[in-house]
Amino acid sequence: MMDRFGAAAEGIAGDRRRLALAAVGVALLAIVPFTTTAYITEIVFTGLVFAMLGISWNVLAGYAGQVSLGHAAFFGTGAFVSAWLTTPSRAGLPELIPLGSPAAVAIVSLLGGALAAGLLALATGPIMFRLTGHYFAIGTLALAAIIQLVLLDQRRFSGGSTGYYINGSIGADAMYLLALVVTVGMLVAAYLVIESRWGLAMRAIHGDEGAASSLGVNPLRYKMYAFVISSLMAGLTGAIYAQFTLYVNPESTLDVVWMIDTLVVVILGGMGTMLGPVIGAGLFLALDTGLRAVAGGLATTIEGLLIILFIVFVPSGLYGLVERRYLSDDEETETPPSDVEESRSEGA
Amino acid sequence: MPPTELVLQILVNGLLLGGIYAVAALGLSLVFGIMDIVNLAHGHMLMLGAYVAILLFAAAGITPLIGMFVAMALLFVLGMAIQVLVLDRVVDEGIEQPIIVLFGLALVLQSLGRIVLGSDARSAEVGISGQSLEIGPVLFSFPRTVTFVVSVALILATWAFLRYTTTGRAIRATAQNRDAARYMGIDTDRIYVITLGIGTALAGAAGALLSMLFPITPFVGWSYLLKAFAVVVLGGVGSIAGTLVGGLVLGVSENLGTLYLGGGFRDIISFTIFLLVLVVRPQGLFGTGGGDGE
Repeated sequence: MMDRFGAAAEGIAGDRRRLALAAVGVALLAIVPFTTTAYITEIVFTGLVFAMLGISWNVLAGYAGQVSLGHAAFFGTGAFVSAWLTTPSRAGLPELIPLGSPAAVAIVSLLGGALAAGLLALATGPIMFRLTGHYFAIGTLALAAIIQLVLLDQRRFSGGSTGYYINGSIGADAMYLLALVVTVGMLVAAYLVIESRWGLAMRAIHGDEGAASSLGVNPLRYKMYAFVISSLMAGLTGAIYAQFTLYVNPESTLDVVWMIDTLVVVILGGMGTMLGPVIGAGLFLALDTGLRAVAGGLATTIEGLLIILFIVFVPSGLYGLVERRYLSDDEETETPPSDVEESRSEGA
Repeated sequence: MPPTELVLQILVNGLLLGGIYAVAALGLSLVFGIMDIVNLAHGHMLMLGAYVAILLFAAAGITPLIGMFVAMALLFVLGMAIQVLVLDRVVDEGIEQPIIVLFGLALVLQSLGRIVLGSDARSAEVGISGQSLEIGPVLFSFPRTVTFVVSVALILATWAFLRYTTTGRAIRATAQNRDAARYMGIDTDRIYVITLGIGTALAGAAGALLSMLFPITPFVGWSYLLKAFAVVVLGGVGSIAGTLVGGLVLGVSENLGTLYLGGGFRDIISFTIFLLVLVVRPQGLFGTGGGDGE
């Protein structure tokens, strides 16, 4: 089994056992809307949203090493643009999509949301990447805050702090299934990117930007690739979320809370690992639902504490823990691209 | 065009507010300059300080000017505890771990604030609120003037501490060269603990002062973090004089911007200034680069 091809394809489709597990998992998720209540479907849908956000942020932070704190902005942009596309009247915009089939409307609105977030990343990336490390983190936090404040201020387009309801075209069950398909698609896309030459360059920049640069890798270019891909994914996730909940609100849709949730998901699951965000999303969902039932308002406090505890004691996340113990049966080669080895930059 | 008196008044208000912004930024700047860590929970520590002052005032009628010292003491201890219990363990692991840990800490403080005090805006309505001093055409609001004077005193005290005390000198030595300081017999781990303590104590002081002027909610942390960081960027990391100038610049530009663009733009203005300066001149308008280590 140890041919080169198999070794190279480790990760999501690395071996049959994992592929079978994944297929069963996806199948189980696919029947949720038809076998459970709408309430449970919504909870599982939220889990898919967390998984998508986690996968998206992980490409940028976990692999390319750029800790952005402005992810909520791209999620919110996707949500709002998709809302404007399906329900332009609420924002005083002209009808842009000639209302054809409902599926076409849904797809155009989702792609529009993703594209808008990608364009936002394309426009702001060159500015943001003049910053590194702490400056980048806090710069992206400021960018997200500005976008949220501007939308809050422009009540005509955003509904102000009350937000507004939008027209759905294909129904909640269909949107749920679409979310599942997109989640799997994002996982595959992230895998393909990370395993490609682009991904190699991103990880090299993460390891040591100076060294990568001296070896001929253009850091800005690959950071931009990571930023735009990550933002496209976040925008698509936001659009899906808006089309499922049929409600957008600049206060909730663009809030830093989305950033916090994303962070919890990736940190619990395992930063810089392919399946980490998926595992983290499941864990976070169970935790969040369970904690709210048990601990009520303290749930968020406990989640914050978990972030701290995981970073300090389990920096490779649950995936790293499980993989080391159970999954690396045949070879020692299964070391996930670790972010722990990265050393502090010189000259402090 | 607004009349000259109004513009003058706005300028004065902005300058008086800028003093608190400078105190809020000073702790952040110290920690960044000395430890090379941006305390993402700084704004939330400020919020905590404000709540200490508000609660003391509500429960026992203690003026925030006294409550400020209680807030500083509590936050000094909290800061030291955080350094010992958490930051010490991740600070050598690279840049991502401290960022994420402090982000998590901010989340904890925000949610605890909401549990203990609810989401409603609160402030310490001191008796002097309405009074003011008239000089020429301009009113110097009493709370604003008092908090400004206290702010400047705090900044001078911090400066004197760093300049004239043994611990202060050790802190500066550590900031300049951690390894060399260690070879000279300075316990740099202890210095880090004290530095984070001072940084958070200053956040607490700024919060207590702000509670006299503005309503505070558990959610103001992010906003004040970004404002404080904007001041740090304006003034240069680790520069005390720069911090004061940066605070005043931010206070004035916020108030002028609000006058011309409307109240909804207050934060948009300061964050935009922040981003512009950050991008054009990351070492700060007045700074020499400090210990940002990038």
